Amino acid sequence: MATLTFPLSRIEGHAQVVIEVEAGEVVSAHFQATEYRGFQHFVQGVPAEQMPVIVPRICGVCSTAHHIAAVGALEDVYNVTPPPVALKLRELLLLGQLIQNQATSLFLFTMPDCLGLNSIFDHSEDPKLEQFRTQFGSRSLMVRKAGTDLINAVGGQSIHPVKAVVGGMTTGVPPAEADAVSRQMKKTLPIACELFDSYWTRLLDMGNRIGTWGDNEPAYYISAGGKDRPDFASGVVQFMNPDGTDGGAFSAPEFLGRLTHRETDYSYAGKTSYKGQVIRANSLARINMFESMETTRAEKYLKRFRSDFGRPAHELLLYDLARGIELVYAIERAIRILEEPLVAAETAVAHTPQDGEGYGLVEAPRGPLIHHYRVRNGLIEKAEFIIPTVHNVMAIERALKVAAQRYVSPQKVDMELEHAVGRVVRAFDPCIACATH
Amino acid sequence: MQQFAVLQLTGCAGCEVSLLNAEEWLEEYELVYMPLVISANSIPDVDILLVSGGVRTDEDLYRLRRAVPHAGKVVAVGTCAISGGVANLGNRDEVHELFLAEEGRRHLPRLLPRCRPIAEVVPIQQALPGCPPTPELFVKLLFHPSDLHIAKTVCQECGRKKHKKMRPGHLTGLLRGAVLPDICLINQGYVCIGITTRGGCHAPCTRAGQPCVGCRGPSDAFIHKELESWLDAIRKIFTKMTDVPRDEIEVALRSPQLSLFLFQFSHDALTGAYPEQDVEVL
Repeated sequence: MATLTFPLSRIEGHAQVVIEVEAGEVVSAHFQATEYRGFQHFVQGVPAEQMPVIVPRICGVCSTAHHIAAVGALEDVYNVTPPPVALKLRELLLLGQLIQNQATSLFLFTMPDCLGLNSIFDHSEDPKLEQFRTQFGSRSLMVRKAGTDLINAVGGQSIHPVKAVVGGMTTGVPPAEADAVSRQMKKTLPIACELFDSYWTRLLDMGNRIGTWGDNEPAYYISAGGKDRPDFASGVVQFMNPDGTDGGAFSAPEFLGRLTHRETDYSYAGKTSYKGQVIRANSLARINMFESMETTRAEKYLKRFRSDFGRPAHELLLYDLARGIELVYAIERAIRILEEPLVAAETAVAHTPQDGEGYGLVEAPRGPLIHHYRVRNGLIEKAEFIIPTVHNVMAIERALKVAAQRYVSPQKVDMELEHAVGRVVRAFDPCIACATH
Repeated sequence: MQQFAVLQLTGCAGCEVSLLNAEEWLEEYELVYMPLVISANSIPDVDILLVSGGVRTDEDLYRLRRAVPHAGKVVAVGTCAISGGVANLGNRDEVHELFLAEEGRRHLPRLLPRCRPIAEVVPIQQALPGCPPTPELFVKLLFHPSDLHIAKTVCQECGRKKHKKMRPGHLTGLLRGAVLPDICLINQGYVCIGITTRGGCHAPCTRAGQPCVGCRGPSDAFIHKELESWLDAIRKIFTKMTDVPRDEIEVALRSPQLSLFLFQFSHDALTGAYPEQDVEVL
């Protein structure tokens, strides 16, 4: 038996793909997460109210989602409801994170694949490509930065934000500051659309050139991002059946009860399944479920997407186009919210800490994120982090196997496989720091 | 063009993301290795190697030892690389055995007994503390390292006013709900340790109403002193500004999960965050 190991790059964290081949047949394709810190162990004994400061450190890419899930879980334990202005501010935070994440994933992680480069920072010998690359690169950093600056303004710090607290937010955003961010967003919107248009063309060109990415079969889709329109704090996880019919909506504990979670000895991340079947989360799951994007430009992109690829869409490469639609939506939606008043006499309500159990659920860029805490004597007795990437692990492995079968034959292993493996994994934009925590 | 590389060990990628938020380096530096955004199999010879993350697995150890000989200068970036960071909490005796259960995973990098700062393994020349260091600090590190010798503390950068008459009787800040603007967080009953924490971050946390947890580590005044003098300075400020009972302050400061202990100490609260070797702290 031969073992092929492919280290991964242009994803968050440390992971590799291991494919086992016997007599020209692909025996297995494993996605290995190779780092581990053990947050669920070491937060035991931590004063519960420190969690929103500690758990963003699970991941520097997704820190905003962890920050908000942590306050959500504690608000569930303490039975406290934040004022409406705080919920609006938290939505802005999640939008800022979505802008930053989707821009990074599209333009820094996967665009180099379309261009045949190792990186968007990689100098090219071809002068035409080099001109395109430098322009595209600096403009994508600009789009990213719009998201970062939004988190900064609302969350106090763009990585590991600090302003969400149990009961609300420490402060709002004064009008002058909101105006400045809004102006930046309005400037960013046309640039993001242009980059996305160019990305759309180049991605489909590559699709035509190489054929399928991997696995385009139906799967269960899950999202906590809303159904009629995007709502990243909808509070329920929505299922879509493989045939596109509604699979129901469930609260965090109900959702967890329906999943099967399994650990393996080859990865520090577990994997989940539903009724023994593959689940898919992240952008394509949400785009398949939204009735409408609600904002002008994003809605146009959604219509084009639906008419070109149908609903539900299953092709792997469409994850990236779905990300682009969300990027445009997040900028438009942020502009709209920034026009509303974001200061109030009270941005947080007082509360009395109490012991108990609670769930915090938000839709992170990669799918439904749940923090589940049990608090005793004011300290964390048990903490559980249910990470979106973990729901995608079976889908990633199924797609890897399809890709491997395509490039492995009894005569040889086509080393295009190395690129194929990268493309498959990046379509899911996994986050390893989160998945292993 | 000077070349630099970023080696990410076990951590959260926050330092890398912060670096990406500072585009200024694009014009004068060539980034040749950083797996987050570049597909490259090994580190070529570089002028500067930035290392983020702690040494948690045997693979971290291997990759770190292999990378350092290629670097003109090694900089430990972020709290994890400098002192082990938040993963330090896993070094505590009371949770250590939970990690033994993970040993059963046979086909993976092995977890080392504890999360270690990189300076315990390789010589480093500079350290840029912060969780993560702000984009501005990265730019200074690459372009104007001499601007980074800041004796200031977070307290001096915070801008909140201290009030003599507002003396809390207990540490109740976190329960209060809304934070009063412009007033020192200690006056409001928070355990804020900005008084001894290294400045340079412009106090984003305290300005936003969250107490400083000391992620930038000790300021120059305390950096080479015993931990006890650092704690003493914090005790003094609480005695001066509050009527909080001494034992309550002591419990808060000594709690292994709270404030300064969260970020600064790698395995033993009584060992300083910086090793004996000659490291320039920025």
